[in-house]
Amino acid sequence: MMKTMKNVLLLLAVLFFAASGPVFAAGNSIVMDGSTTVGPLAKSFAAYFTKKYNVKVTVSESGSGNGAKSLLNKSCDIATMSRAMKPQEMSAAKKKGVNPVVHTVALDGIAMIVHPGNPVRNLTKAQIADIYKGKFINWNQVGGPNSRIVVIQRESNSGTQEAFKELVMGKTAQISKNAETQASNGAIKNRVSSTRSAIGFVGLGFVDRSVKPIAVNGVLPSVVSVRSGSYPVSRPLYMYTNGQPVGMLKKFVDLPKTPDGKRMISELGFVSR
Amino acid sequence: MNLGTRKILDRSFTAVGFGSIAVMGIALLIVLVPIITNGVGSVFFTGTLEHRKMLFNEFGRGNTEELVKENAVSEVYRQQIYGMLSAFESELETMDAEKKQDYLSKYGPVKTALQTLIGPLPGEAEAILTRYKYGQTRWGKAEEKLHEFLYETKWDFSNPDAMSKEYFVSRATEFEGTSLVKLFPFVEEHLEDVLRPEFTVYWGFLTDSSVDSHIFGGIWPEIQGTFFLAVGAMLFAFPLGVIAAVYFTEYAREGFFNSILRSANSTLAGVPSIVFGLFGLAFFINTLKVSESKSVLAGSLTLAIMILPTIIRAAEEAILSVPKTYKEASLSLGSTKWNTIMTVILPAALPGIITGGVISLGRAAGETAPIIFTAAVSVGSAIGLADVFSSPTPALSWNIYNLASEHEAAAEIRHVQYGMVLSLVSIVLLLNLSAILLRARISKKLKG
Repeated sequence: MMKTMKNVLLLLAVLFFAASGPVFAAGNSIVMDGSTTVGPLAKSFAAYFTKKYNVKVTVSESGSGNGAKSLLNKSCDIATMSRAMKPQEMSAAKKKGVNPVVHTVALDGIAMIVHPGNPVRNLTKAQIADIYKGKFINWNQVGGPNSRIVVIQRESNSGTQEAFKELVMGKTAQISKNAETQASNGAIKNRVSSTRSAIGFVGLGFVDRSVKPIAVNGVLPSVVSVRSGSYPVSRPLYMYTNGQPVGMLKKFVDLPKTPDGKRMISELGFVSR
Repeated sequence: MNLGTRKILDRSFTAVGFGSIAVMGIALLIVLVPIITNGVGSVFFTGTLEHRKMLFNEFGRGNTEELVKENAVSEVYRQQIYGMLSAFESELETMDAEKKQDYLSKYGPVKTALQTLIGPLPGEAEAILTRYKYGQTRWGKAEEKLHEFLYETKWDFSNPDAMSKEYFVSRATEFEGTSLVKLFPFVEEHLEDVLRPEFTVYWGFLTDSSVDSHIFGGIWPEIQGTFFLAVGAMLFAFPLGVIAAVYFTEYAREGFFNSILRSANSTLAGVPSIVFGLFGLAFFINTLKVSESKSVLAGSLTLAIMILPTIIRAAEEAILSVPKTYKEASLSLGSTKWNTIMTVILPAALPGIITGGVISLGRAAGETAPIIFTAAVSVGSAIGLADVFSSPTPALSWNIYNLASEHEAAAEIRHVQYGMVLSLVSIVLLLNLSAILLRARISKKLKG
């Protein structure tokens, strides 16, 4: 009997030790879900916000489509999305009593990336569309070396994928069945940086020295060209909330408008508004 | 079969046996050696002054006096570097516009490379993101970045029929004839004086929270989340599993219904884990609404359902292996069925039941798919026990995937990824080891 008591006491002690984690303001936590493109921004905002206001913020990166679903099911406070909500999603939201309100975080160019060893520097929108439709299958058809093109796309859940289709391919066009699918911006970057004949697309903030962005219609993606609108494949990044946000949530969605927020956006390689 | 053939067959069978063990051993080595060497590198490594500065500023750790002294030594060399930069900048002003433009376009990358190497340069506004506040914190990475600083990567596009090859051009030659040319050999020679590498043991990797999405700091929230999820799953699944096993072995009558139940259980054991993940999202979060968002509770319940079949099967086997005579002896002394199960059968079957339980615990700790939609987040703070009903948590299995594939700077934080993998493997190993010890102790007690 004594031994059982001792064990129970020990267990309680362990539980108390575990419970004495960091203390946050009660009931104040923000749950974010959605786009992997907005991921770096969301994570940095979350860290900044937690430090400044002592509010717990969690970030999941599961794709824009999932963000929208989570908001509809009321299982997140903010859905980060790299595309606007579709009419179907809006009407589904209305049915469930959710009122999605849009907040723009930043602007982003969808950079077309190739391996740094690829001599191709410029493609027109039509050429890119034909590559993704499967009409062009070799780099020598677009002025490159004789090498089969490895086409890389995102999964259907991705906002970047839908924005790319809309901006480059046109709404009805189908992407070739031979295109390979990767589940995030980071994964596309990894794949392209290790495959000499690959082409893919990622958010501007993901471009680094391991890949080469190519000019679209003669314009290279950059902060300047995206802000001025001369880069043809750019889109805004959004946060959606259920109804007009109040309190801490309001402070959070307003973060991109503050000077610190703008600095973080530009440090991460995105374009502040 | 004559004796000769039999011998040959026998020997070849032995050889194949040894061969397969050798193949398994080599495979294990190939998998484990990099995990262990690189994983250990996340705690034991050659850290630079930047690492110690980061620890001091972000976690308030370290000896202030020592740091001030070290900083003073480093600053001597830094000032010389900064001096060279400003000398070149004033030299730029004296050049004609065309030449200036040319040098300016080459000077930008040099500055960026220097900044990644030794940290922010004077005259620039302080960055908000922690990753830009410090130079390289690990000497191994610093040497890589030194190469990037000294040499520019170029691509040879001379052959239009093939993908080009990479080659390196010394940056110093590009600044031939200017004052900046001195900078490159100086940095190369004095980098150790600036960064002051030193063997570092950073236990904080296991006990700190991450800073700036895992670029600095440790993995405590992930370790804690993994424990909460695995233990939570066990709390639900273990009692349920044992009760179900007792029902199957002692109470259920053989028949159509029972065989359906059994085959359902076996089928459940073979269902892919992502299906459980989606089921958990649809059932626990969207239908039952056990929590408002993803949470440890929802994740634990999902994991519990996933490991339940294994626990039931293991417990069933353990109960069936208890000799029938035990039960008969107990019943013949006038004990009731319930009493017999509680005092005779279950204690005798306990070692087997516990083994099954702990193997499942290890599986629950390692699974990614069931928690993607129900519990795991890529960034979050460590949660207290009171938060498990409402808060999602980072967890090792999911964050390894996230950091290796989705993270924007995945290539820069390989040591964190390996550190997480090693921690997860160690946790599972530790759990299994404790199961073996517990089992041995109980068996001894039963015999004694």
